[in-house]
Amino acid sequence: MKLHAVEVLYRERFGDHVLIRYRWTGTIPEPGQFVMARTATSRRGFEPFLSRPLFAHDYDGETLSLLFEIRGRGTALLASEEAGLLVSAPLGRGFALDSGPVALVGGGVWVSPLKLLAKRLVRSGTTRDVYLEIPGTAPKAYAAWISENFPDATLVPTDGCKDPSQIVLSRLGDLTRYATVYASGPAEMLAAVKQVTAGTVPAQLATRERMACANGSCYGCAIPIWWRGERTYVRACVEGPVFPAEVLAW
Amino acid sequence: MVARHTPSSAAGALAVDLTVELCGTTLTTPLMPAAGTFSKEMLGEASGVYGAILPKTVTPRPRTGNPPPRVAEAPSGMVNSIGLQNPGLENFLESLGDYDVGLPLFVSVAADTIGEFAAVCERLSSDGRVAAVELNLSCPNVEHGGLQFCAGPVAVTEVVGACRAVLPVKPLLVKLTNEGVVRNSLAAEEAGADALTLINTVPALVVNARERKVFLCGGLSGPAIKPVALRAVYEVSRVVGIPVVGVGGAASGTDIAEFMLAGAAAVQIGAGSFVREPRLALEEFAAYLRENGLRARDLTGLL
Repeated sequence: MKLHAVEVLYRERFGDHVLIRYRWTGTIPEPGQFVMARTATSRRGFEPFLSRPLFAHDYDGETLSLLFEIRGRGTALLASEEAGLLVSAPLGRGFALDSGPVALVGGGVWVSPLKLLAKRLVRSGTTRDVYLEIPGTAPKAYAAWISENFPDATLVPTDGCKDPSQIVLSRLGDLTRYATVYASGPAEMLAAVKQVTAGTVPAQLATRERMACANGSCYGCAIPIWWRGERTYVRACVEGPVFPAEVLAW
Repeated sequence: MVARHTPSSAAGALAVDLTVELCGTTLTTPLMPAAGTFSKEMLGEASGVYGAILPKTVTPRPRTGNPPPRVAEAPSGMVNSIGLQNPGLENFLESLGDYDVGLPLFVSVAADTIGEFAAVCERLSSDGRVAAVELNLSCPNVEHGGLQFCAGPVAVTEVVGACRAVLPVKPLLVKLTNEGVVRNSLAAEEAGADALTLINTVPALVVNARERKVFLCGGLSGPAIKPVALRAVYEVSRVVGIPVVGVGGAASGTDIAEFMLAGAAAVQIGAGSFVREPRLALEEFAAYLRENGLRARDLTGLL
């Protein structure tokens, strides 16, 4: 995996959520694509060993940004101020752009790829509604930041809700208004979107799975799909990470 | 006359002789991918780096592989349990032309029974596109077969003998696990193996303490197992008369040199290629040879 040393221009933390912006003049990221990221020190010492797959959050022609949550050693190292950053070019198959009208549904830190998607939809003049879950666990600073970064979004606080995904989806109302529903969120949210859109409106879901090679070689990031009537696995890193909801065998 | 390796890489610019001989085949570099760590998507990066191509292990019938999670982080390495996901021999052969990038093609095979191992080898024996066959006797992540073929010298002798009988001409490499590696290597040689590939991933377990569950039961790879693999290569190469291909955690030029010094005639790169480009490792290796005034093939066993 070819990794590039990049210049980090900006780091901001909201509790366990981290935003990193770095200079990027390589391949332009498509919405829903991801990059593999690691720190320069972790590469020298192979500790942690694997790079971390992170969705491309935003891109302005010169800088690419990543939004992630600190979950373990790898993401904690990426969040540290002095860490030199190594990234791959944007990878995988992202969202297919629809002419609209469309709905974007997101939750948790996985709202990340929806920023770039929304930006592209704005550029193409596509009518869109954005619904984002703000979980009770999100720090206030993060909620404020989401509000600022998705100014057109309907924010749905789900603090104390038993079934947050259903609360968010209930806000969409009549799904047949939409030509496509795009979703990136917790596993329960993706499953719920798949369920409510089945047979009514096409949905595209940004999946996540642990990755090792991120170039199709290792078959580590298996996503179950239906293929010719049989359940099989494809690779999130090259066939995904975005898949039409109807092919996913969840 | 031995061809000089002259790609447009830094290694080439150094004009170091990287060629090695393996079972009668000249490899332009001593590197090849470890089974299961190289796909068609990476073919564009093979030329000038690898001396041979080795696609993911193929089985007689398609295998869907194991349910996720399939990979986990480990100290200086990773644990995987893929389960030999592959399209099956016939589909594999139909698309074999895709792998033609002008490099010798080594095919890794696995099966559930000795009869099936032999049947796959027989099918490959007359295929002119296949330069060599590597028997995967040691994948720890499949329900049937796998480790049992490495259970001991008797099992190894049976399966290698059956494959040798139907593969009279093509080089036959036998990939073994670390457990019992010396006696199993001797058995494989006695049964007709042309070379040994040492070692496969080391059986490993990842536990999720928070949820009190087994997260992954699979095989450990990466730099964490390099000393184990080096020891296997070192011990086996001193007692067998056939070449050894070293594999297990190589990621740098020094790693390649260490494997060859320990006795390997060639080196496979697996998990290391997920972290660094194999091209970088080859360039470092070329620099090592240049500094020491050596050719790659001089290095094998030069301790």
